[in-house]
Amino acid sequence: MTPWRSTEAYPLSWRFFDAVEAVVARLWRPRFSRALPYMLILPAILITGLLVLGLIEIVDSSLRTLDTSTFRLSEDLSLANYRRALVEPLFRTITFRSLAGALIVTAVTLLLAFPYAYVMVRTRSGALRKALLVTLFLPFFIGQVVRAYGWLIILGSNGILNDALSAVGIGPFRLLYNYPAVLFGLVQYMLPFAVLMLAPAITAIPEEMESAAESLGANWMRSFIHVVLPLARPGLIGAGIVVFTLSLTDFAIPAILGGGSNDFIANAIYDQFFRTSDTGLGAALALLLVAIGSAAVGIVFALFGAGTLGLSRAGRP
Amino acid sequence: MTSSRGKALLLWSAVLFSVATLSAPTLVVLGASFTAGNMIAFPPQGLSLRWYAAVAGASDLRQAFLRSLYVAAICTAVAVPVGTLAGIALARYRIRFGRTIQIYLLLPFTIPLIGSGIGLMLVFGKAGLIGQLWPVGIACCAINLPFMIWAVTGSVNALDPDLEYAAASCGAPPVQTFFLVTLPAVMPGVITGSLLMFILALNEFLVSLLLVDARIVTLPVQIYNSIRSIITPDLAAISVVFIAAAGLAIALLDRLVGLDIFLKSK
Repeated sequence: MTPWRSTEAYPLSWRFFDAVEAVVARLWRPRFSRALPYMLILPAILITGLLVLGLIEIVDSSLRTLDTSTFRLSEDLSLANYRRALVEPLFRTITFRSLAGALIVTAVTLLLAFPYAYVMVRTRSGALRKALLVTLFLPFFIGQVVRAYGWLIILGSNGILNDALSAVGIGPFRLLYNYPAVLFGLVQYMLPFAVLMLAPAITAIPEEMESAAESLGANWMRSFIHVVLPLARPGLIGAGIVVFTLSLTDFAIPAILGGGSNDFIANAIYDQFFRTSDTGLGAALALLLVAIGSAAVGIVFALFGAGTLGLSRAGRP
Repeated sequence: MTSSRGKALLLWSAVLFSVATLSAPTLVVLGASFTAGNMIAFPPQGLSLRWYAAVAGASDLRQAFLRSLYVAAICTAVAVPVGTLAGIALARYRIRFGRTIQIYLLLPFTIPLIGSGIGLMLVFGKAGLIGQLWPVGIACCAINLPFMIWAVTGSVNALDPDLEYAAASCGAPPVQTFFLVTLPAVMPGVITGSLLMFILALNEFLVSLLLVDARIVTLPVQIYNSIRSIITPDLAAISVVFIAAAGLAIALLDRLVGLDIFLKSK
């Protein structure tokens, strides 16, 4: 028998696996098998641990005040930064602006996302469903900066919209660098998130339920309010909280479409780190924002469980 | 009859408005990239590929793009093994404190991005890693890892455990079972997850902005820095890279797992 023939009878890949199995079998101890699941999760825990380390660093920095004569952080710890973050009118204005903006964005986004998700789920046309899905995913995958850039081209003072308006003799209008522009940009940014969270909830509503209501004499408005809306409520609340926290904490849209005069909390934090170099105050603001964000997500978990994001064990008997 | 027509009218006007809002920036960037003029104007001043030529010749944009690719590659290369193993473990084994671990692993979604970014900036700063590119990839992996785990758990839940028992009873040792039975079965989830990780890292802006210095800006940061000064069509041409990447990712997702997967109720 030539070596070549023996390779064919017993392929190289088998030899390879035999070798690997032999090594594993030599290293393996039966008591490892209980630790196996934890060993598999460990890398993920360590990577996520980087964020925990980051939070610890933020807490540490937030307790140190900036010495304006030396521009170094103090050695001793105090809560002075938190007091400034909560008391200074600038931060109060910014916090109020972000909270109000996030609420408006959430309401408008849900109002637009619901019909979108409803049509996407209920349509009988596979082509339409696919077209709506692609329309949703394309901006989601393109990223915030390029999208905001598109809005600059459309809404700028020499932008497409103003050019078109001046062609018919109106304008120009100042469409950019104001609060409505930021909110509009945020709604566009949030729409895919909201639709993708609503769609499974609407899928779960049996269509017969609606036709039953309508056959019993309810018009579509009543069947919508009394049947569809209550059944879709978990999806609406989940989507609402995700949209609220994401828009509350957004940086890019207020920075690009707000033109510096419509900052949200994230922009204020960035400025503390990179403009005024007051790391301590920036860290305190960041931690307050983390607290608001976690509180909102904590509510989602409390209401719907961690399975909301699909990380639940299969319910196998 | 009139009422159902009213319903259709209301639904469709909302949907059309959303479709227009979602697509407008993409279409406009695409259109602007082909303009022949020096300015972005409406109506466009003729068609040309001159801005693509300009981008191909601009080494700063090209290098920023290569850096973004590098970051996305590092992120995906780390996330695939880490997320796949964690996903299999979470869906397959009964784990003590499993619920706590799940909630812990969702931290990247619960901590606002600016918080994660600032935290990583402080951690990497202390470790002297600011100014290098690979930590940006690790950071992108850390903030998006739940997507990878979610995609894998989804397909592990669809995998029949009997397949693994069958392999074992046919005499396949554990490592072989893992690579030849378990891994191929969860492959759709691994592919979905890695596509998401790659594209999200390619686009990642805020964490990049916090972690890079002027010498190693990634493409989204480069575009952000440029649109704050003057808007020229060469940025539109380079932005088309992102549009093309997004289109490719969607086409791949649709072919490999089907976009409808996102509509399923749990």
